[in-house]
Amino acid sequence: MIYLQVLANGLVLGGLYAAIAVGFSLVWGVLNVINLLHGSFIVLGSYVAFFAYAYFGIHPFLSAGIAGAALFALGYVVQAGLVNRVIAAPVLITLILTFGLDLILNNAMLLAFSADYRKVNLAHPLGSLELGPIFLPGDRVAAMVLAFLLTALLYRVLRDSRIGRAIIAVRMDREAAALMGVDVKRINAITFGLGAFMAGAAGALLSIIYPISPLNSSLFLGKAFVVCVLGGLGSVPGAMVGGVALGLIESFGAYWLGPEHAITLSFSILLVLLFVRPSGILGKRGYE
Amino acid sequence: MDAPKLSVTQLQAGYGDVQVLWDVTLDVKPGEMVCIVGSNGAGKTTLMRAISALVPVSAGRIAVDGADLTGATPARMVAAGVAHVPEGRRLFGAMSVRDNLLMGAYLRPDKAGIAEDLEKVYALFPRLAERQKQDAGTLSGGEQQMCAVGRGLMARPSLLMIDELSLGLAPRMVDLLADGLRRVNAEGVAVLLVEQDVMNALELADRAFVLDRGRVTLSGPAAALADDPAIREAYMGGLAG
Ligand SMILES: Nc1ncnc2c1ncn2[C@@H]1O[C@H](COP(=O)(O)OP(=O)(O)OP(=O)(O)O)[C@@H](O)[C@H]1O
Ligand SMILES: [Mg+2]
Repeated sequence: MIYLQVLANGLVLGGLYAAIAVGFSLVWGVLNVINLLHGSFIVLGSYVAFFAYAYFGIHPFLSAGIAGAALFALGYVVQAGLVNRVIAAPVLITLILTFGLDLILNNAMLLAFSADYRKVNLAHPLGSLELGPIFLPGDRVAAMVLAFLLTALLYRVLRDSRIGRAIIAVRMDREAAALMGVDVKRINAITFGLGAFMAGAAGALLSIIYPISPLNSSLFLGKAFVVCVLGGLGSVPGAMVGGVALGLIESFGAYWLGPEHAITLSFSILLVLLFVRPSGILGKRGYE
Repeated sequence: MDAPKLSVTQLQAGYGDVQVLWDVTLDVKPGEMVCIVGSNGAGKTTLMRAISALVPVSAGRIAVDGADLTGATPARMVAAGVAHVPEGRRLFGAMSVRDNLLMGAYLRPDKAGIAEDLEKVYALFPRLAERQKQDAGTLSGGEQQMCAVGRGLMARPSLLMIDELSLGLAPRMVDLLADGLRRVNAEGVAVLLVEQDVMNALELADRAFVLDRGRVTLSGPAAALADDPAIREAYMGGLAG
């Protein structure tokens, strides 16, 4: 019976991990940019939610939209103003650029918000859900459901909208996309913005679960990275599969080996997977 | 007199320090079919890419319907009615045939017109209709070329540029494509064609330009060039290309 509980914990965690990773995966897959800012984007989203709750009483489930929109704007500007200038350069160049930008953003957050851990203490928590033998904290489940819905929304946008098809076309062949009349630089900026949107929204949702500090950005970035390698790069289904896989690995790892080994386990599995199946669990480079 | 559909004047272009095109001057009249022939590395692809604004132009002028579009963006060239079917086809392999065709109409707002043109492309190349749900990457070479031409037509261009229509395709496929191209041209769409099969090209086209190491060395009515001994020797004698 305890396994059911561990399984449920893993699934809830996995839904959140998918949302953390999907924007990172999109940017990597479409732009071939490893966005090291992603973790700080998530933390910034958490701060938006924290202050929106502290000063205006806006529940993080609502401010996820605000955080997403704010981060979209930031992401759009960063890509249009900076990353687009070196987008054609080797991946190492863009990696160094986002590394530098992350140092700036992260230190700016340290200055502005300090390294102290803060927490959103909800005035009216949802209590816990009881499903037979399984106990689940209601807020966590609600955050997971919202994260899942946002991820599904991104999937729809990519599949069914005109912009989405342009993003996919750019991913497959940027020059051919340009010949269709696609403004590739604008699509780059929108893609980066969408990645940042998902980071900001995920950060807001996470603010009710994890303590908030700029120090957490590398933790989130690491998880996004593992999820991408587990699920395969650049596709929404890949991020979902990878996210759930990581959630389950950590949950069962924590149960069998103790919570202190959960991260070690997930990174060990990552290393093994990189050797035996570098294309990820889904095994192909999906395009949505 | 009508302004030419496309006029390229004294064009210079290349990659970085390497200049490929030298003073290229060429024009296409409305509804005309013009071909460019020349050996490998002559600069045919570079010329089309410069017209489409994929390659920067260092000097000279590119005008469409009399309007100067030198230094424009690829999107502006499409909007001006110039569609480019690139060398190697460059389809979106993991997208369906239908979605590939729809990408060709990316800049168009007229939904009804797009649906109409989709049916037209399917009527032109019925094989595409049969395979519309299939990923473009799974098509045969000839079908891929049909899809690439169809994708170009979905922009509803007044000038269709095709870089290598028949390269590597079975003769039956080449016939189908050439046939389709004639029909498109008969409807009033001007065509600028690069073709390694010089005989085929001169048969299809009204006029031709010969490009040699980045310069136009000969031009004139296709029929006259087909009879030119120098052309016959250079491009039709052996398998010279
Ligand atoms: N991306 C590039 N960077 C640098 N040089 C290039 C590039 N593409 C082509 N070139 C050079 O430009 C010249 C013209 O090439 P281009 O592809 O335009 O010729 P082409 O006439 O289309 O030849 P082909 O019949 O082989 O298609 C060649 O010398 C080629 O090596
Ligand atoms: Mg060529």
